[in-house]
Amino acid sequence: MERFLLDCPVTRHDEVALGQYRLFLRMPEIARIARPGQFCMLEVAQGYYPFLRRPMCFEQIFDEEISILYKVEGEGTRLLAQFLPGQAMNVQGPLGNGFPIDAGYGRHILAAGGIGVAALPALAKALTEACGKAPEVILAARSKHLLLCADLFESFGCAVHLATDDGSAGERAFAASVLQRLEPGRGTRVYACGPMIMMRTVSDVARAAGANCLVSLEAQMACGDGACLGCVVESKYEQEGEKMVRVCLDGPVFDTEIIDWEAHNLAYAP
Amino acid sequence: MPTRPDLGIQLGDLKLKNPVLVASGTFGYGQEYAQYFDISRLGAVVTKSLSREPRAGNKPPRLVETPAGLLNAIGLQNVGVEAYIAEKLPFLRERKATVIANIYGKTVDDYTALAERIEAANAADAIEANLSCPNVHDARQARGVTMVSQSPEAILEYTRAIRQATRLPLYAKLTPNVLDIREPALAAEEGGADAVSLINTLLGMAVDAEKRRPRLANIVGGLSGPAIRPVAVKLVWDASQVLRIPIIGIGGICNAEDAVEFLLAGATAVTVGSMTFRQPDAAMRVLDGLEDYMTRHQFQSLDQLIGAMKV
Repeated sequence: MERFLLDCPVTRHDEVALGQYRLFLRMPEIARIARPGQFCMLEVAQGYYPFLRRPMCFEQIFDEEISILYKVEGEGTRLLAQFLPGQAMNVQGPLGNGFPIDAGYGRHILAAGGIGVAALPALAKALTEACGKAPEVILAARSKHLLLCADLFESFGCAVHLATDDGSAGERAFAASVLQRLEPGRGTRVYACGPMIMMRTVSDVARAAGANCLVSLEAQMACGDGACLGCVVESKYEQEGEKMVRVCLDGPVFDTEIIDWEAHNLAYAP
Repeated sequence: MPTRPDLGIQLGDLKLKNPVLVASGTFGYGQEYAQYFDISRLGAVVTKSLSREPRAGNKPPRLVETPAGLLNAIGLQNVGVEAYIAEKLPFLRERKATVIANIYGKTVDDYTALAERIEAANAADAIEANLSCPNVHDARQARGVTMVSQSPEAILEYTRAIRQATRLPLYAKLTPNVLDIREPALAAEEGGADAVSLINTLLGMAVDAEKRRPRLANIVGGLSGPAIRPVAVKLVWDASQVLRIPIIGIGGICNAEDAVEFLLAGATAVTVGSMTFRQPDAAMRVLDGLEDYMTRHQFQSLDQLIGAMKV
């Protein structure tokens, strides 16, 4: 798989909600081959704090540009938020496996939890093109101001179901209970991205209904290329050498059946 | 027109075209970075630590970023020596990379068996014995000496045994977590090592204040990155005062100037570790910058630079 290390100019950078930003970077070489669900590593610091790049998934993929949606959480994203249009940022990518696009499934449901929505718009667009029909979207977050991309999904023709923990927009519900109500079945594929607990509960509902479920995981990572083995999660593979799967290279998209959710220590989870 | 400087070095019987290596555990098995640059340009690729059997490593989370560095507790996850020979080595050979196989075992027998197997399969140009991984013990139980390279007697025993098991050049990778680096370094030399690699990571810990939990599942990890560079330079300097064998310098090297720092302090080779995570082609920048430095200062060979700090 071809990868690039490029200085890419910022073309637009907007605060779309409190502390949440959409960044557009011009990177024709990467955009040409990037797929939904893949990510890139951004060099956000000039010096050595933070030392590592920041992994960011592709929100939308255009002909010559990529957009990235992120929330300011720590020092890395704080520095990222300071980039102005015209400034260049070093980008490593495209990385990871991305979502498989399979029109063979009769129904596609995307479930987003919080900023996890950032991995899904490009997928919604690709599924719409491949299936001739827009997927359904569950957009869940703690509160109204954290619900992002509803307009974008609607522009693809998606039916968008809003849910918030506090009931400030849409139903007062978690993503998993909305999914339950939508009655997925065999022939449905569910795509989840959000906090670990959200992906796990969505997976449980999908599995109980006989639906296929893919999750896009997040992890602390150093290299993005499968070398450091820092970003692993435990799988159900039994062979000693296969037990740990790398979020960066084997993922970030996994069939939920592969992940050993029981082994995963949620006390550490994002 | 000045002639290009000679960057060649000798580590035991192995002649390297230049002194820039990539550290074990930061470069996978070479293939991971071959898409960013020609890995045959490196002095050598040092593989991820290889054990006799595949290892799953520690539970996640395994990484924490700290000021100017990172703490890791990977726990030597690797494919095992047989899968290395069958699946990883052909790529390294095809790309004409010089290969140093880093090996790890729980016993002397593990190390000698690995060395024999690697020599028999022509699976490396030299061996680096990892006597210093900080992450393969249970931090809840371990107290006191936890690594071979915290005990000069153990280093002597292990190095001697590996030395007898193989004719390949042998390098001993040592821990900085000791009172006096000269003792383990001299023990490795006495045991027959052709070089010592200084330093492996410094033991460290990070605690999540909000969750009141360790940030690493292993509790304790190894600190690397530019944060540890001054410590590494000092230990290379200390060891260089007593050793006859060469030193492979490691610890927070980010650019050519850092590499020169190690050379001046007494290192013969320089290894780029964690910086590869930040800049996948960091080792090439170090190599190009080093050649430029030597040209600018009119050094014809590295001998003129190694240990040449003015004091």
